[in-house]
Amino acid sequence: MNVLSCSINTLIKEGLYEISGVEVGQHFYWQIGGFQVHAQVLITSWVVIAILLGSAALVVRNPQTIPTDGQNFFEFVLEFIRDVSQTQIGEEYGPWVPFIGTLFLFIFVSNWSGALLPWKIIQLPQGELAAPTNDINTTVALALLTSVAYFYAGLSKKGLGYFSKYIQPTPILLPINILEDFTKPLSLSFRLFGNILADELVVVVLVSLVPLVVPIPVMFLGLFTSGIQALIFATLAAAYIGESMEGHH
Amino acid sequence: MKNLTDSFVYLGHWPSAGSFGFNTDILATNPINLSVVFGVLVFFGKGVLNDLLDNRKQRILNTIRNSEELREGAIQQLENARARLRKVETEADQFRVNGYSEIEREKLNLIDSTYRTLKQLENYKNETILFEQQRTINQVRERVFQQALQGAIGTLNSCLSNELHLRTINANIGMFGTMKEITD
Repeated sequence: MNVLSCSINTLIKEGLYEISGVEVGQHFYWQIGGFQVHAQVLITSWVVIAILLGSAALVVRNPQTIPTDGQNFFEFVLEFIRDVSQTQIGEEYGPWVPFIGTLFLFIFVSNWSGALLPWKIIQLPQGELAAPTNDINTTVALALLTSVAYFYAGLSKKGLGYFSKYIQPTPILLPINILEDFTKPLSLSFRLFGNILADELVVVVLVSLVPLVVPIPVMFLGLFTSGIQALIFATLAAAYIGESMEGHH
Repeated sequence: MKNLTDSFVYLGHWPSAGSFGFNTDILATNPINLSVVFGVLVFFGKGVLNDLLDNRKQRILNTIRNSEELREGAIQQLENARARLRKVETEADQFRVNGYSEIEREKLNLIDSTYRTLKQLENYKNETILFEQQRTINQVRERVFQQALQGAIGTLNSCLSNELHLRTINANIGMFGTMKEITD
């Protein structure tokens, strides 16, 4: 009995844990000021930012009236983002396109970099490189930005009258309406974090069990969900902004 | 059991401590699957994306062509409108010049005719004055004549007496006698 439990313990502690190579909660820390930051997230975020800025700068360096291939692609992306913003926000979507576009592109490229780039080739002293959205700090930051954005949108559009939406349609709903302001960033951040982390975990676990072929369908699934999650995050952010800007009549 | 776990440990061994470096474990880093996924993505995604982008480009080209055609049409219309404006302006100038000369002529005519009418009126006036003068003269003459006649009648009536009669008759007889003598 003792032996069995001991072996199970060993299996769980060393075997399974290390087979999967899953290092949830292990981070490569940097000390900046009084803060411990997750360096692997910063590094991959920088890479993602570099990809985005570099490709955009490279492509629109010499804009043409009749778009060349790269410019055509970027304009197509921009059109897509504008379309999403317009659908969700409505008439005054113009000033919010940069914000929604930044959210969408950053999350999308982060997710796809996690699913497509061989991050694990580069080895860190501790922890491992993965998609920035794999870390809850990133997604919470993005979700809080969204909260700030929709508060700003509502307040700048309607002034203090914005808060009258908390007692509509009846004052009884006041607690629920206030609760909504907390659940919105919570659900946004946890949805994105959970999906990406789950995708990567599934892939990593499958790779550690069967290294070849078998993970490929799951990786495609991961690509698909990654794209969907980026779209969902951007759409919901736009929807929240639009909701706080629309008039309750 | 120990062996098994050892092998597991070996299989999943992850050098977690240390510094930056490259993980050369080809199975753990998963580059094969990633390249397959990437290849499939490029292979299928490229066609779809190319179609999409080609469509977009074609649409942009069509839009540009359409707007250029519209622009050319608009320029044509502008030219036409300008030509018509020029034509109308010259016509207006002509009309204005014609109108001025017409007005001048009308003025001259009017002055002329007024002058003539004035002259005629002057003539009438003169004639009337002359006529009036004539009539007044006649009247004065008539009155003077009448007064003279009346004076003569008065004189005659006052001076008529037998002596005068006789004298006159005698004078006349003497006159006739001399006249007879002369004729004889």
